[in-house]
Amino acid sequence: MIKNLKKKEPIDIIANIIIVFFAILNLFPLYWLFTSSLKNSSDVLKMPPDWIPKNPTFANYIDVFKSQPALRWTFNSIFVSLAATILVIIVSSLAAYAFSKLKFKGKNVIYILFISSLMVPKEVMIVPLFRITQSLGLVNTLSGMIWPNVATAFGVFMLKGFFDNIPDSLREAAIIDGANELQVFYKIMMPIVKPGVGALFILNFVQVWNDYLWQLVVGIDKDVKTLMVGISTLMQDLNPNFAYKMAGATVAAIPMLVIFIFFQRYFTRGISIGGVKE
Amino acid sequence: MIKSKDIKKNLTGYAFIMPQVILFLIFMVYPIIEGIRLSLYKINYKTETFVGLKNYRDLFNDPVFVKSTLNTIIFVVFIVGLTVAFGLFVASAVFDKDARYVSFIRGSYYIPVMVSMVVMSMVWNFLLNPANGLIPYLTQQAGFSSVNFLGNKAIVKPVIIFITFAINVGQAIILYIAAMIGIPNDLFEAAEVEGVSKFHIIRKILIPLVKPTTIYITIINIIAVLKIFVVIQLLTGGGPNNASSTLMYYLYNNAFKYNRLGVASAVGVIMFAITLLLSVPQLRAMFKED
Repeated sequence: MIKNLKKKEPIDIIANIIIVFFAILNLFPLYWLFTSSLKNSSDVLKMPPDWIPKNPTFANYIDVFKSQPALRWTFNSIFVSLAATILVIIVSSLAAYAFSKLKFKGKNVIYILFISSLMVPKEVMIVPLFRITQSLGLVNTLSGMIWPNVATAFGVFMLKGFFDNIPDSLREAAIIDGANELQVFYKIMMPIVKPGVGALFILNFVQVWNDYLWQLVVGIDKDVKTLMVGISTLMQDLNPNFAYKMAGATVAAIPMLVIFIFFQRYFTRGISIGGVKE
Repeated sequence: MIKSKDIKKNLTGYAFIMPQVILFLIFMVYPIIEGIRLSLYKINYKTETFVGLKNYRDLFNDPVFVKSTLNTIIFVVFIVGLTVAFGLFVASAVFDKDARYVSFIRGSYYIPVMVSMVVMSMVWNFLLNPANGLIPYLTQQAGFSSVNFLGNKAIVKPVIIFITFAINVGQAIILYIAAMIGIPNDLFEAAEVEGVSKFHIIRKILIPLVKPTTIYITIINIIAVLKIFVVIQLLTGGGPNNASSTLMYYLYNNAFKYNRLGVASAVGVIMFAITLLLSVPQLRAMFKED
């Protein structure tokens, strides 16, 4: 890395001390979440508090899974996020390939239309979106949470950049050898853009996982709620035990934490692709 | 012969984009057009009556809408400002350090983003709870009179601003660090040889060079804060007395609680126009690249 800058200036050291301090402070709410979830219903409200739980118990977690269909919610969230992400990858890699490598009439106009929608969140159109989802019979189904997320153009934009980096000669050579367009796409191009697909997979999975508002309005019955929406209902639950609510929130936090810890490298790359010119 | 080859070429292209186009038409284009249409109607379950711009006029005469709009603007300005400033500060102080340290800082600030707004809002709700929250207890111990962080009109907005900023700043930090690590070394080396201080390097080299990232972070954060909803719903419910209500929260309530679909659509159209306008600079930058 940049060796010359390693010569530390005092202002640099002070800045870094502040940054580390805030980093730890920023993680404190999560520490509090987790330790509170291990307390019993009276310890959790005790002031001055136990900074470390005195009699840690998993009773709240058992409570969450017993009194709420939390397993079902977890399954729903995984299913919705996974299905939407796989569909996004299929649909947008096909389109991105066409925009990058094929020639057809109206290509640029259609691409500009796609790209213009990139920044428009679907939530602002939630009323008509809900009505069309309703007329398709998809309200109160997991499909209703999936399809609108597949319509977004982000994957097309992101993967097109990867296809653009592949020389055209590769495709031409394969066509001369007798491959058809679908074979070129599937057998030659897709393996090359794998890193892009990986980054898109993670980004999209997380985005759908956290697609709270849409899942809130589409999933009406308790059994079709997703983890985030289901867990958030614990805040209004009649059970006044805060430790129980925090156990629910911890359950909702764990899947993403695990994914992040294992895939941090992909995350950093995936997130950066949108913002950094390569 | 040539013509049929051209047709085949076109058809292959269309076939590849067809699935995306169909979904895009159903779930993006149609809702936008339908949203504009609905905003001109009064909708009562089965009946729709054309009312022209009445929904829009009603909106601007509704003090809750005006308040929600002003709140949203305040949230956007402060949260985005804080995010960009702190993101730049952290990234520029950290990017030239040991890779493991960079990864630690990045991870610590990004974990709340990962854990999600819903979970973080629940924790903050517990931390700030006036009856048994840790923070009211600590402020009381520190000698301040008891403060109701979520129930006081004067304090609730800064609290929401701080919490949203603290949860989301990790994304800006990741983007800035990536951009700064990507800057060629020789630029720094030249400055270093001339004995320029790091502060100067940051001002003269770093900040100008990461400008595209700054634009990107600004735009995606403006749009994210514009549709801010989860924190409001889980922390304050828009209260006290609508002091923390936002456009998205107002839209949601009108659409799904009060069943005023025409009015809600009008709010949506206004928000759509704002996001489209805001994304113009980013779109222009993207097309320049092509």
